[in-house]
Amino acid sequence: MQEFASQVPAAPPDQKPLGRAIVVTSGKGGVGKTTTTANVGAALAAAGARVALIDADVGLRNLDLVLGLESRVRYHLLDVLEERVTLDDALVRDKRSEHLVLLAAAQAREKEDVDTERMTELVRALRERFDYVLIDSPAGIEQGFRNAAAGATEAIIVCMPEVSSVRDADRVVGLLPQTMRPQLIVNRVRPAMVRKGKMLSVEDVNAILRLPLLGVVLDEPALIVAANRGEPVSLDAGSATGSAYRDIARRIAGENVPVAEPAPEGGMFARIGAFFRGRR
Amino acid sequence: MSARRIVVTSGKGGVGKTTTTANVGAALAKRGHRVTLIDADIGLRNLDLVLGVEKRIVFDIVEVVEGRCQLRQALIRDKRFETLAILPAAQTRDKDAVTEQQMARVVEDVAAMCDFVLVDSPAGIENGFRNAVASATEAIVVTTPEVSSIRDADRVIGKLVERQLPIRLIVNRIRTDMVRSGDMMSVDDVCEILSSELLGTVPDDEEIIDTTNRGEPVVTVPGSRLAAIYDKIARRLEGELVPFTNLEEPGIFGRLFAAFKAS
Repeated sequence: MQEFASQVPAAPPDQKPLGRAIVVTSGKGGVGKTTTTANVGAALAAAGARVALIDADVGLRNLDLVLGLESRVRYHLLDVLEERVTLDDALVRDKRSEHLVLLAAAQAREKEDVDTERMTELVRALRERFDYVLIDSPAGIEQGFRNAAAGATEAIIVCMPEVSSVRDADRVVGLLPQTMRPQLIVNRVRPAMVRKGKMLSVEDVNAILRLPLLGVVLDEPALIVAANRGEPVSLDAGSATGSAYRDIARRIAGENVPVAEPAPEGGMFARIGAFFRGRR
Repeated sequence: MSARRIVVTSGKGGVGKTTTTANVGAALAKRGHRVTLIDADIGLRNLDLVLGVEKRIVFDIVEVVEGRCQLRQALIRDKRFETLAILPAAQTRDKDAVTEQQMARVVEDVAAMCDFVLVDSPAGIENGFRNAVASATEAIVVTTPEVSSIRDADRVIGKLVERQLPIRLIVNRIRTDMVRSGDMMSVDDVCEILSSELLGTVPDDEEIIDTTNRGEPVVTVPGSRLAAIYDKIARRLEGELVPFTNLEEPGIFGRLFAAFKAS
């Protein structure tokens, strides 16, 4: 980052480069989009970046719960889009980091109420003030997904090592413009099951999706506990999963951190073969 | 007599709607009922994968709706249970390809030729959900014992109540060790929050991941604990009063004690 700064003449203060807007999506629900958004966002903020998280799951919001901010939410995304309050009124500051803010979704409204063009303008406005804008997409490929992706410049695809999740991820990648350069997080890997040949490995998943690998996160009960308590594990220095999220944040920031796959002992090709024989 | 038309829904994705639809459907068929499963997740279909029939799809629900094939041409008969059939979703279309009225019409046509129609709803509460609910006469809400899943289930239950549908709950992916250590909500907690009638409790079991990846419903695995649980759910749907399975696996002392008593 330092090197980059020295090569490029410093922009005048009023022309600060726009922040990056990254949509976190998956097709299939329940694979960990919200947990990923919360943890990656918290890790980026802990490293000093200014981060805004948008919950685009209008009607079924959960990002506020995972961050433990539900009691602080006064206004939401649609209040801002429909100009009832200003952006500053609606942004909820995180308890732990002053660099992290949340724009919550409306709970009592529908995804169809969101004006895609206004959403794009909103993301653009946030990019002027924050280094990263992470947008937590709802499941599916309907209007809610389209709204979430509308203002984004990049995409993170969250996928579990299960055939249905891989199939849905593949479908979503096909719907995103290539300029978004989707990157992959393989989530909820159980190495013991991979070793027994009962779960696809990270390589199996990516043999199908063929995306740049942004990170691998293991399936740990600690994640359920943390989400129930509203505390991102990425802020827990002693947690292995937390460290996986911190590594993902560093890769997003441009650092070269190798991805260590929990390696299964042999049999990879056999499993890929079985996967394709069974599925294609 | 027309079939019972049950929508399987949840709000949150990934809590087990499709797995539940496949296994409850297979359990009902195993008990001799004529069952048709409808995949309403147009664009992101997966019920075919879970049942292992993905290579046998010729026509899909959108083609039925658009009159490009007969309903019976699109139905795929299961090879394990001859009274089980599936109507697959389209993969390359989106949920707006079908209206609520069209969906209701298909469900009614299917209902005329079987005993149970189970409709696998997509995640969310958008068009796809409204289509899936369109012609249902009862609902199964699937939730896991996690706050986000329960919050979404609560939202969906509100929508189902507006439609005056009877609702029953399946609490899925329970980890008894986590419940015991206070790190996970218990089934009682979940039922109390959602104030709904309980239809079944299903533990978190690696067997589900494995059988789903292989396209074999766990109901077909002889001696499986989960197969017995889905069979009980099927019996409760028939109206039988079946006691709930104790999901606690006996610990080492429990097993020793049982052996002691037996000797």
